[in-house]
Amino acid sequence: MPEIKKYNEEELVMLLRNNDATAFSYLYDNYSSALYGAVYKMLEDRELSEDVLQEAFVKIWNNFTNYDATKGRLFTWMLNLTKNLTIDTLRSKGYKKQSKIQNNENSVNEYSDKTITAERFDSIGIRKHLTLLKSDQKQIIDLAYFGGYTQDEIAKKLAIPLGTVKTRMRTAISELRKILQ
Amino acid sequence: MELNDIISSGLLELYIAGLTSPEESLQVEGWAKEYPEVKRELGSIEAAVESYAFSESITPGVDVKDKVMKAIEMQETNTIKAAPASFRNEMKERTKVYSLPPFYKWAVAAGLILLLGSLAFNYMYFNKYRSASTDLQVAQNQLQSQKQMTDTMSNEMNVVTDKYTLPVVLNGTPHAPDAVAKIFWVKNSGEVYVDPTNLPQVPEGKQYQLWAIVDGKPVDAGMISTKKGVYHIQKMKSFGKADAFAITLEKTGGSPTPTMSEMYVMAKI
Repeated sequence: MPEIKKYNEEELVMLLRNNDATAFSYLYDNYSSALYGAVYKMLEDRELSEDVLQEAFVKIWNNFTNYDATKGRLFTWMLNLTKNLTIDTLRSKGYKKQSKIQNNENSVNEYSDKTITAERFDSIGIRKHLTLLKSDQKQIIDLAYFGGYTQDEIAKKLAIPLGTVKTRMRTAISELRKILQ
Repeated sequence: MELNDIISSGLLELYIAGLTSPEESLQVEGWAKEYPEVKRELGSIEAAVESYAFSESITPGVDVKDKVMKAIEMQETNTIKAAPASFRNEMKERTKVYSLPPFYKWAVAAGLILLLGSLAFNYMYFNKYRSASTDLQVAQNQLQSQKQMTDTMSNEMNVVTDKYTLPVVLNGTPHAPDAVAKIFWVKNSGEVYVDPTNLPQVPEGKQYQLWAIVDGKPVDAGMISTKKGVYHIQKMKSFGKADAFAITLEKTGGSPTPTMSEMYVMAKI
């Protein structure tokens, strides 16, 4: 959960619309760890994740007027923006090149035998938190919210029919909500 | 779709994940507006995902924030620093509205050049037209005065050459032995013309007056115009009969009777 807030979300949004740097600093302090956790889940590389996080926050600042408070919460918008940026990074050639160099340098690294592409999502680690959540439920949440997978890809990944993705999603989130209560 | 079906479909969860198609997203947004329950459900899903994300937070390196803050500060200096975001966006939109594809830019530029060129030519030609117009006016005036002169001379010639015209030479009296004047008396119409060309210069405030002697008495035949020192053959009063013609120098405007001492020329018929 976020730290004790100095601003409520409404105030924060209003200040950010007016390019208030203090509000932005506050935004970073409160949301960067959650977003960084999400990026790291996808990239599993600290330095690269930090680069993406930095880029994401600059983009949040520049495109803040695109955020429509009537359509949803601020975090949801930031998470999806960050997620899309991470997917772009995964697909870019530069990333692959950089990763190879890095892998050569750290040949003892556990990922050294893999090229860092979208394929790397094959290994989604078991999270330490929310242990009450069934692993398959946690998996579908990670894939959908923090993995950058499409409905189709999730279906293939879990070897379930496309129509079942929705109902599984529903069940997993309902379970999560129960645990959080 | 029933409200319960919407809520339990799983579509709302996918929408929050950003995994719905554009059509599905529009549908969900429509439901959210229509049903407060859908809006509330979406809010709960978001809150759950947010809590989940926060529970899996990892603190990034401390230098990341510095980099971010420096990056946005640099961007701020590069844009209009003092203006609020809304104004800057407005500026962006305005720029968008007025920006044209390259072809049109060239077309507009070419159009402007042509327009300016045309204006310059218009100005030049207008000036030419104006001076030409003035020249034409001058020429027309000259032509007009020439024509008047010609008409006058033509009329004078007609008088002189008319077969009914009786030319009469008025010779100088002892008072003015060098003075000479001519009368052209058109007998059939009675018109009398005088040619005062050879009369002496008229003194200030004086004027020549023509007299016809009819039945022994002098009758006023009119004042002779000698404006600007130019003497023309001019029409005088008409006479059916006359015994003699004489010209005296009188005060401007003439006298009822001739001043005999100032008689310059005379002739008997």
